Amino acid sequence: MSKMLLHKGLVVTLSLSSAIVFTVAMAADEKVEISPPAAGSVSKAQGLNAWSRIFQVASHPRCANCHTGPSDRPMWSGPSYGKPRVHGMNIQAGNSRIGAETILCSTCHTTKSDDWDNANTTKHAAPRVAMSWALAPANAHWFGRTTRQICEQLRDPETNGGRDTLEIAEHLNHDLILHWAWSPGGNREPAPYSLQEHVNDILAWGVAGTPCPEDQSGG
Amino acid sequence: MEITVNDTSYTIDVEPEMPLLWVLRDELGITGPKYGCGIAQCGACTVHVNGYALRSCQLAVGDLGDSKVKTIEGLGAPDSLHFVQQAWIENQVAQCGYCQSGQIMQAASLLSTNPNPSDDQIDAAMSGNLCRCGTYPRIRTAVKAAAKKLQEV
Repeated sequence: MSKMLLHKGLVVTLSLSSAIVFTVAMAADEKVEISPPAAGSVSKAQGLNAWSRIFQVASHPRCANCHTGPSDRPMWSGPSYGKPRVHGMNIQAGNSRIGAETILCSTCHTTKSDDWDNANTTKHAAPRVAMSWALAPANAHWFGRTTRQICEQLRDPETNGGRDTLEIAEHLNHDLILHWAWSPGGNREPAPYSLQEHVNDILAWGVAGTPCPEDQSGG
Repeated sequence: MEITVNDTSYTIDVEPEMPLLWVLRDELGITGPKYGCGIAQCGACTVHVNGYALRSCQLAVGDLGDSKVKTIEGLGAPDSLHFVQQAWIENQVAQCGYCQSGQIMQAASLLSTNPNPSDDQIDAAMSGNLCRCGTYPRIRTAVKAAAKKLQEV
């Protein structure tokens, strides 16, 4: 096993055909292809269908529990938790979003090697990934929010970290804490679909013009 | 592999997935860090890694890399106690004592980054360290006393 890593090296190959294709090779043989559909090939209706699946992921407890917006308290919710409640132990992530003001998230959510695949098999133990555990930025407020609210946040570079949808897909690809949502371990329910399907939906939604439910006119 | 605990280097022959706590207690005989739950729910195993509190039951020793470990044995010595240890004695915090090395390591970590914490900040930092004897009021008093000592240094 290698020592602690905050970020991992990415091997990126670029080819130009009908679309730009990024293939990012990651540890544990996990590969995600970033291949946007051709411009103009995704209708608004198809884009809204893609968004409906994206919302299912974003609002799922594996994602939303740490997207608590202005609150610096992560949540415990989902089928394995029963009634939703704030994270135990009086945990407050603070303005730092990593608990630097009081107790670091990584005190319990330790950083694992990127080649240790079965690190989260113990039920009720603090999950760990090959990067520092953290709460999402306050702008990315998903817990308890509507599909419209999350959609507007995600398509606005002012609130999504300055990203277009290709950059959101890349963010999904290299931010390993996000990968954990699909392989949470213990008795936690994973996020729906797969990371690849989610990336595909993000890209299709972008090509469709990032439509949101209840838009008055095109996205 | 080699690890450094309390400024001493050790060569150990263990699986990299072995929790640091197991290594400390069973391989090195450093028994200040206690086993409580094994899943980061109680804090009894708290040590410092590069100066920050960390639950040693949750860190695989292979993930330690070059990081330095400090346990309660390395925090202070009987003739030169750490100011948190001194405050613990002066306020007679411990009852059974099982959780106290973890409590002290967590408190020392808090004060190293926030030398003058409020009651709320103390509660936020210390709430992950359980004490079945219920010494929490004395823990908070001792943390505040240690903070005061720190201000006077």
